[in-house]
Amino acid sequence: MPPLPMPPPKSSLTDAPASPSIRAAILETVLTKRAARSSPPAGVVRIALFFALVVALLFAVDRAIGHGLRKVETSSFGVTNRIVAGKVNADIVISGSSRALSHYDARLIEQITGQTTFNIGRNGSQTDMQLAVLKTYLQHNTPPKLIIHNLDLFSFVTTQEIFDPAQYLPYLDEPSLYAGVRRVYSDAWKWKYLPLYPYVVADMRFAWIVGLKALAGFHPPEDHRQGFVARHTAWTGDFAKFRAARPEGVTFEIEPQGVRDLAEIVEICHRARIPLLMVYSPVYHEMRDLERNRDEIFARFRAICEPFNVPIWDYSESPLTQDRSNFYNSQHLNAEGAAAFSTLLARRLATTEISSVRVTQHTGTANTARSTP
Amino acid sequence: MLFNSLEFAVFFPLVCALYFSLPYGSRTPLLLIASCVFYMAFIPAYILILALTILIDYFAGIYLQRTSGHKRTALMWVSVISTCAVLVVFKYFDFFADNLVGLATYFGWQVTNPSLDIVLPIGLSFHTFQSLSYVVEVYRGRQKPIDDLMTYATYVMFFPQLVAGPIERPQNLLHQFGEKHDFDYARVTSGLKRMAWGFFKKLVVADRLAIYVNDVYGSPQQSNGLQLTIATVFFAYQIYCDFSGYSDIAIGSARVLGFRLMENFKTPYYATSIPEFWRRWHISLSTWFRDYVYLPMGGSRVAKPRWYLNLIVTFGVSGLWHGANWTFVVWGILNGVYLVLSLATIRARDAVMGAIGFPAESVQRKIVQIGSTFALVCLGWVFFRAGSLGDAWYILTHFWQDWDFNNVRTEQFLLRQMPVAIGAIAVLELGQLLHARHPIPAIFSQWPLPVRWMSYATLMLSVVLFGIFRKGQFIYFQF
Repeated sequence: MPPLPMPPPKSSLTDAPASPSIRAAILETVLTKRAARSSPPAGVVRIALFFALVVALLFAVDRAIGHGLRKVETSSFGVTNRIVAGKVNADIVISGSSRALSHYDARLIEQITGQTTFNIGRNGSQTDMQLAVLKTYLQHNTPPKLIIHNLDLFSFVTTQEIFDPAQYLPYLDEPSLYAGVRRVYSDAWKWKYLPLYPYVVADMRFAWIVGLKALAGFHPPEDHRQGFVARHTAWTGDFAKFRAARPEGVTFEIEPQGVRDLAEIVEICHRARIPLLMVYSPVYHEMRDLERNRDEIFARFRAICEPFNVPIWDYSESPLTQDRSNFYNSQHLNAEGAAAFSTLLARRLATTEISSVRVTQHTGTANTARSTP
Repeated sequence: MLFNSLEFAVFFPLVCALYFSLPYGSRTPLLLIASCVFYMAFIPAYILILALTILIDYFAGIYLQRTSGHKRTALMWVSVISTCAVLVVFKYFDFFADNLVGLATYFGWQVTNPSLDIVLPIGLSFHTFQSLSYVVEVYRGRQKPIDDLMTYATYVMFFPQLVAGPIERPQNLLHQFGEKHDFDYARVTSGLKRMAWGFFKKLVVADRLAIYVNDVYGSPQQSNGLQLTIATVFFAYQIYCDFSGYSDIAIGSARVLGFRLMENFKTPYYATSIPEFWRRWHISLSTWFRDYVYLPMGGSRVAKPRWYLNLIVTFGVSGLWHGANWTFVVWGILNGVYLVLSLATIRARDAVMGAIGFPAESVQRKIVQIGSTFALVCLGWVFFRAGSLGDAWYILTHFWQDWDFNNVRTEQFLLRQMPVAIGAIAVLELGQLLHARHPIPAIFSQWPLPVRWMSYATLMLSVVLFGIFRKGQFIYFQF
């Protein structure tokens, strides 16, 4: 700041061994020698060549990361890799948000129903990205006997910012996923065509390290079992904070685009003649008091499903919702809660029989009765 | 336009290519056009404000030469006040209005707040100060007024240092627009290397640390003492790397074009005292305040109490320059008080050090001095970064409470980012220490070309992979 009548420091860490003048002299000598070597045109060519090398390196590393991520056999990358490789081909497919991902234990459902089951739920996704994932699944795999789509009160809210974008990055050549991403980010072309761009701009979780490690044969720990992720987590304080912040409750938006996205899921299944079952999985009962437009949203669900005779199984009043030990926050069941819910659902499916879901579609008998498990 | 944007990655090579291709006479107009494009990438209409400042000071410079005596002094003041008026309206009007309304309300008077609620033009304080220094230097007779409006406008608007300095003096920069800058491979590559170091500081260190700092300082009441401490130390590195990184890119890009800008930072966190810190931190601003505020008030050539007052007032004004908020004013005054205490206790501290067995020039003493200076600076940064004086006070009184080592991460800053953040700081320190002993470019130059190129390319790739590219603005743009 202002000049102080103090001498400059006699020595410091920065100028102890070599004084600035000596350093400058060394640098000057080096620069002069270099200057003598390079005439302007040659210098320009050298700089251009160097940056060409950098660009080539960026492309090479980008390809290596993408290739590595598509080789991952575990985690969410492993799930997507199986989907796009057409290696799932399950009888029952569960789609939806993180609530689908952590509520439907595919192995339990498979055990009880005798039908191969796979969970393609996506963490932090809204219906638009769930639709993109479902379309990708159907593009690469044989049509399932049943699709279970999990509903949320935020099903009609569109994505403003993609959660954990890395989960989609290696698959931008998949038309449905790319279209989904483009709807959220108009500059998604940069993700697709600029080397490393998405890994450094969109991803904060160092997915590129996962990709490079996978090239060397190191895969992340497996946390997805047939797509299902069990949350071994006790009740957190999230709900208390949420309720304190919004004691008056919350109104969930109903965006026209969100409505169209859910309707498209129904229409896709109808066209492909795949039986579809909508399930509203358990939510902790105290949350009910804060849901201000629940009836309106359920009316929309019914308006979308009834024309196609798609049943809605609503577990809002299941006894599971009364017991906090089944949840880790108001929206998500923990591993124990998920096991209990999956068992209930699978037993009901087993008794209903998947084929009968198809029958109800044809007979026009909409099964919108609330679940009484 | 941000330095860390794709737009700049296209803009800068294009400007360089045109600059070296055009005849000398067309280069200053090119730089002016490029600077306008650079500035208008933010809010285009604000270029009119810049134009107004330029015109006021340009004509003031010409008329100052033609006048003398009181008329000359009056003209200088008219120019200074007119230029500052722009700054006051855009930067301080709402602040003063809010405070006056608050005061009126306190006394029970009903006053409507005349808040303008306008967006601050980016870098306003920087180019205003650069423009002011021209007028004052012309007034003092140290700089001949320039009659070429285009050159003067380019001096104020020169895009590498337009929005965040270094705040140049006319004696250093103005004449360079008349020089012939040929393409010089050594100089160009030296500039590019300086830019690369700046990008490392900004993208890898500053912007990653910013994620943690923003989370914690955004709601300090939700954070434990350990998080508050980490965030404060991180902010010290964030602001240093953000601002010195910007300066490196500015100096480097100007060097590519053949211009020499003044150094703005000299490893300030290695300072062994507060006065030394301020000789190493934001040098272009410090010397500006020294020359145009502190010395005109009498500097140190007055009675001791007045000298101390001069220091505190200068730092208080410097704080206000940084932002229209009481937190900045307190930060400035606190640093003024630090400086006064530092000067007043030199002998006592020396005696204490000697008594505990740390003789002058010993490593132990240096470590203690560097550590204590850093700690004091960090305490000051709390006021600088906090959203309000209440937040700052909360942080200062909760540093030591509730250190929960299981709760270090924040909402946005996952634990896996911590090794990268700490590693980046380590690389920064290592680079600075190494460079102080042997200039790193000189070390690289001894290697064979393929090894050297691969090393540079790998380092650039590392900056790309470990950097944060989320359109993070430079902190000092807001000033």
